[in-house]
Amino acid sequence: MTGDVRVILPLACLGGGAFAVYLVARLLTNRNDLLALLTALIFGMALVALVTLQASTGEEHLPAWGHLGPGGAFLRAAPGGLVMGSVAVGLGLLVALYSGCYLSLDQRYETYYPLLLLLATGLVGMVMAGDLFNLYMFCELMSAAAYVLVAFRRHTDTAIEAGFKYLVMGSLGTVIVLMGISFVYRETGTLALPPLSASAREGMGTPGPWTRVGIACFLVGLGVKSAIVPLHTWLPDAHGRAPSSISAMLSGIVIQSAFYALLKVCLGLGLPGRDLGTWLIVLAPFNMTLGNALALVQTHTKRLLAYSSIAQMGYIMLSVGVGLRYDMPAAFQAGFFLVLAHAVMKGLAFLSKGVCHFYCDATTINELRGIAARMPLVAVVFTIALAGLSGVPPLAGFAAKWFILLATLRSADVLGYVGLTALLLNTLLALGYFLPLIGTLFTSPSSSPPAEGNGGGRIRISPWMAVPLVTLGTLVLAIGLYPAPWLSWAARAGLYFGLGR
Amino acid sequence: METMWLVTILGAPLLAALLLPLLRGRGTRVAGWIAGLAAALSLLGTFALLPALQRGEMPMLDFRWIPAARIRLALHADWLTFPFLITEAAVTLLAVVYTWGYHHVDERTPFFYALLLLFAVGMSGTTLADDMFLFYIFWELMLVASCALIAVWGEGERRGAVALKYFIFTHLGSLMVLVGLLILYNSTGSGSFSALRAGVTLAPGLVTTVTTLFVIGFCIKMAIFPLHLWLPDAHAVAPMPVTIMLAAAMLSMGTYGILRFPLSIFSPAQMTPFAVPMMVAGIISEIYGALMSLAERDIKRIIAYSSVSQMGYILFGLGTLTYDGVAGATLHVIYHAIVKALLFMCVGLVVRATGRRRLAELGGLGSAMPLTAFCTGVGALAIAGMPPFCIFVSEWMIFAGGFRTAHIGLSILTLFGSLLTVAYALWFVGRIFFGPRPQGLRIDRLPWAMVVPTVLLTALALLEGLFPAPVFDWVAHELTLILGGVW
Repeated sequence: MTGDVRVILPLACLGGGAFAVYLVARLLTNRNDLLALLTALIFGMALVALVTLQASTGEEHLPAWGHLGPGGAFLRAAPGGLVMGSVAVGLGLLVALYSGCYLSLDQRYETYYPLLLLLATGLVGMVMAGDLFNLYMFCELMSAAAYVLVAFRRHTDTAIEAGFKYLVMGSLGTVIVLMGISFVYRETGTLALPPLSASAREGMGTPGPWTRVGIACFLVGLGVKSAIVPLHTWLPDAHGRAPSSISAMLSGIVIQSAFYALLKVCLGLGLPGRDLGTWLIVLAPFNMTLGNALALVQTHTKRLLAYSSIAQMGYIMLSVGVGLRYDMPAAFQAGFFLVLAHAVMKGLAFLSKGVCHFYCDATTINELRGIAARMPLVAVVFTIALAGLSGVPPLAGFAAKWFILLATLRSADVLGYVGLTALLLNTLLALGYFLPLIGTLFTSPSSSPPAEGNGGGRIRISPWMAVPLVTLGTLVLAIGLYPAPWLSWAARAGLYFGLGR
Repeated sequence: METMWLVTILGAPLLAALLLPLLRGRGTRVAGWIAGLAAALSLLGTFALLPALQRGEMPMLDFRWIPAARIRLALHADWLTFPFLITEAAVTLLAVVYTWGYHHVDERTPFFYALLLLFAVGMSGTTLADDMFLFYIFWELMLVASCALIAVWGEGERRGAVALKYFIFTHLGSLMVLVGLLILYNSTGSGSFSALRAGVTLAPGLVTTVTTLFVIGFCIKMAIFPLHLWLPDAHAVAPMPVTIMLAAAMLSMGTYGILRFPLSIFSPAQMTPFAVPMMVAGIISEIYGALMSLAERDIKRIIAYSSVSQMGYILFGLGTLTYDGVAGATLHVIYHAIVKALLFMCVGLVVRATGRRRLAELGGLGSAMPLTAFCTGVGALAIAGMPPFCIFVSEWMIFAGGFRTAHIGLSILTLFGSLLTVAYALWFVGRIFFGPRPQGLRIDRLPWAMVVPTVLLTALALLEGLFPAPVFDWVAHELTLILGGVW
């Protein structure tokens, strides 16, 4: 095992941290806030490691670790993967802090925090994996942690059901991925994923028949993980039933990183970007329309947000698809910009929802009435998140929408315009559920019975929750008002995929 | 120096809007004064730009914002923005003063003023923006702020639904405008309006697409039939100061958009295919709005539908594509703002004094509220286009523009359509202020903060009708800017 040690450092932090936290929880202390702080520290270290790694990663210079064969590596630090990994770890940091209060009514902290760290380990490993085997292993690690975390509140039937459904669907996906790997291995005799940069992709021949079957398997298997319609059915249950902190991770970054893995594998195995792009553009309107239409009829806030994630996945697919099909880096980077913006906004929405659940026991939309009077801060950040998701300027979602529309219009092609029309109509559709939800927050709860317990007075929310909420809320505004640095960050991912040559 | 005033126009209300929520429940009275001060500063800033404009300068403010996408934080004032800017700033100030008397003070009052000011910032920002990204941000801010005002402070149980309808309807228009903007952006490679004015070369098909998108998108904002469906509900449900700002200032943003984008960018030849559709839509809207005003029984909705009708005149004027027509349309924006604000204020006075809004429950108020009756009478005569009130001047110009085109039939139709305006205006005054007074009608005292702006507008309606020259001068400058002496 040789190579650049800095590449393995984030994973070592997260993975080692998971064991450390478990040991601390079993041997030293089982206090929730201490464990949350420790987990947050580990996430912070991993974030620092990722950011320093990012600084040393150039367009063609990709630090790798563990050379297993020609062109193959155990882990490879590619800009796109680092973007996804940093978003995941950053979100994880805030989620860990948030859990310091959110989880105080639960037990079994010794499973929660290590699993959260393992989820991030799997995710970072998956997006950085340099060969199919490691990609598969890390994907399974991430998924296994996610299944358990979805069913974390095992005293409720619904959580068990959702976790089980997720497990069945997810395992089916990974089995198909495994099958795809075997097909690829049968033909090429190697599991290495060559780097995607432009120079590496030149001279790559067309994939053989078995590899093509393998690619199809990857599309389906990882399509399940990234909730591409019609493989999305597990998502509303899983994201709707998991603890809010976990939903924030799952909706915010996990499905997007599975999508990133899909892109990486399919393009790495030689599927022409043009074909993949066409597929994505064709599938994207289904994701958008189905997600938005079903979100319209939801009565549970978290299921609504979950369906909105399916729709947002559609926007990401459209943008990336346009980038790949028409070889336009601008569209591709707009897609990644949306991944970033969506992670922040959806994370914020789920976390705000969790605060309402924690203090007011509000699960359905109607129970959210009067939140503004009782927890003004939560109402404000929740509104920022929802308005951002519906693309209202000057928030992050609008900047993403602007760049996506701009790029899609530039495609000057019928298929691009179809996608564009679908996106515009869906923007309107999304307003149909986001605006009433915002309105509900600010309605006085006169028509509903007052929540039991602490009455209808003003509630002071714990700083454990307030800090992540305010951070994310500020980020939504900052990304929207000053998108330049975030955009250039997202642009690195597009370069890595060798577009625009 | 001008740059400083340019910043003040937006900065004063924005700063106040950000600071007001900090007051919470402590200074609900102070909130009104702060908001008034901010609105007054904004108006002062607008007037301060006048000397520079008359010297032929164009006050500018320009920062790089998102260099990668060539998006700039750029503001500019030229003769096209000026008439709109002054309308918005003046209407905002009057609406804020009116709010002092109208608004029931509670702990949420600072938020009300803050949103009112944000609404104003949205409108002034839209007019001042010199970059498409910025333009659209302000354009949506205008919508978000006004929608929040309706959703939270609206009158009646249906306010949530009405706000939603308003948002989705006008957002549809915004999206059309957005696509139009992005097409222009893609073809010029920059979001700057100054670059657009220099001329854009687009494929003929694209010109049609862009113009259609812009005209339909902006017509939704102008509430042209059949895209007006959001207006009556939104205007009827919104609290009166918001209604005043919606009707008097925000509707005109659609006009600004049409003037700024299709008319300034494309040549007359490229615009000609749109002339007749715009004129016809204008006439239909004019007649439809007037008929609906006649049929309505709620005094606020009567005036709301009257806006649909008046916007019809404006669209007709723009559609003539003649100097007189476009000048008349722009003048009409200003004069309609004066008169519509006046009428809504009068309605507010009547509602405040009697607590009733239905025509059947009102009547014979003339003797009890002589001042209100006089103001309403002036407003009604003005909207009916009677000399010597201000709208007479602008309608004259619009009709003159109509008769300069080849479509004399359409112009005659507009002229007759204006008869209906007279009908509902007089009927409105007659039913409220004359005839027998219904049983048990109590009349409360009116706060001075509501009466003063009303009287001021009444005076202005007369004054502008007698001396239209200064305002006409601004508009004439604007036309040379748009038309470049072509027409």
